[in-house]
Amino acid sequence: MAVITNEGLDGADAAMERYARGDAAAFGDVYDAIAPRLLVFLRRATRDASASEDLMQQTLLHMHRARGSFIPGAPVMPWACAIARRLVTDSARRRRVEQRLFSEIPADDDRMMYAPAAATAAADDLLHAHRLAGRIQQRIDALPELQRNAYQLIRHEGLSLKRAAEVLGTTVSAVKLRAHRASVALRAVLRDAEKPA
Amino acid sequence: MSEELRARVLAAAAAETSPTRADVRRRNLLIGFVAAASGLGAFVIFTALMSEGHLLRLGGQVSPDQYLERPVGLVATSVGGALVIAATAAWLALRRGRSMLGRSRGRLLWGAALMPISLLAWKVGCSIAFGASMVAWPERPGERCLALSLFVAAGPLLSFLAIRRSAPVQPALNGAVIGFAAGAFAWIAADLWCPIAYVPHVLLGHLLPLGVLAGAGALLGRALLAPRSK
Repeated sequence: MAVITNEGLDGADAAMERYARGDAAAFGDVYDAIAPRLLVFLRRATRDASASEDLMQQTLLHMHRARGSFIPGAPVMPWACAIARRLVTDSARRRRVEQRLFSEIPADDDRMMYAPAAATAAADDLLHAHRLAGRIQQRIDALPELQRNAYQLIRHEGLSLKRAAEVLGTTVSAVKLRAHRASVALRAVLRDAEKPA
Repeated sequence: MSEELRARVLAAAAAETSPTRADVRRRNLLIGFVAAASGLGAFVIFTALMSEGHLLRLGGQVSPDQYLERPVGLVATSVGGALVIAATAAWLALRRGRSMLGRSRGRLLWGAALMPISLLAWKVGCSIAFGASMVAWPERPGERCLALSLFVAAGPLLSFLAIRRSAPVQPALNGAVIGFAAGAFAWIAADLWCPIAYVPHVLLGHLLPLGVLAGAGALLGRALLAPRSK
């Protein structure tokens, strides 16, 4: 699990404020502060490195276009996550439409394309850990979208419940419940893994 | 993180001009003027088309209620209150609060529910207080007021969407609230023009347009305010 730090995010807010005022060089600082976290968020959402880079570029360009409407003092990261989430949904919808149009491509192919190549590890425990991580990832993928988004924003992106609720457009208690249900499901995977075969 | 990706993103941003906060303020002011001018222009055109002389030239009928006199105090109170409600609606629809994600769903839903209720309550309350025009007018079901409201609100609706530009969270709901706000300004025009406060007439001619505009706003909001992938 990634270690969450908030370093750089205050810097991102200040850099975005400078950028909104017209300091063109500040966009580089905004990029440096949020791009790594945004890319991780998008990689988890798409499981496709090139698609996530493309979506990250689109997210940052969207922020670039909307810089004039940036509210002084507003946090940048939840805004970036909300735009990225919307772009992921839209891009997935577009891909589904394209797959339907070119029906020779099976509908489940994108999952196969996004699946990481199997790692070859000699040590048994490394193999076990890899298998477990794969099972957890499968379970995360199988979670309902609402639960998965809530879990990822809180556990992976380190957003507070309030910010995650804003990004998802729902209440704090709903986010708490969704993240809890996701955690319960993932704990079940770990329990099953510990049981002797 | 690859340097090549960073360079690509920064180059793409540099190649595309984007307005600064000062530019956006100027642009929004201009759009606000366009919204006001389009609403006012639509109101003037509509009332001219519905004038006695024009209707008679077209072979239409002029009903006596069209020229029903109302006390100035009633018009001023009714329109003044509606103006306050419309301004509050515009503030709710166009300002995002302290977050770039906009207002919470609960606040937007409360606002959307309170706007039409408060407009209706104010109109009926003023009419009762001034003891005027609550009688039935079966020959005026409200279709002219409906047409006037939609005609007047079209420009402000598009202008408000242009001012808001983007809503990454709940674009449809934000669009619906924008539709309500545009409808609230159209309510003022209908209130100025129409002397009738008979409740079925108000429901059809004055309140229904708010629902229609909220629906149109929701559809346009989903299409125009949500970020799209390319």
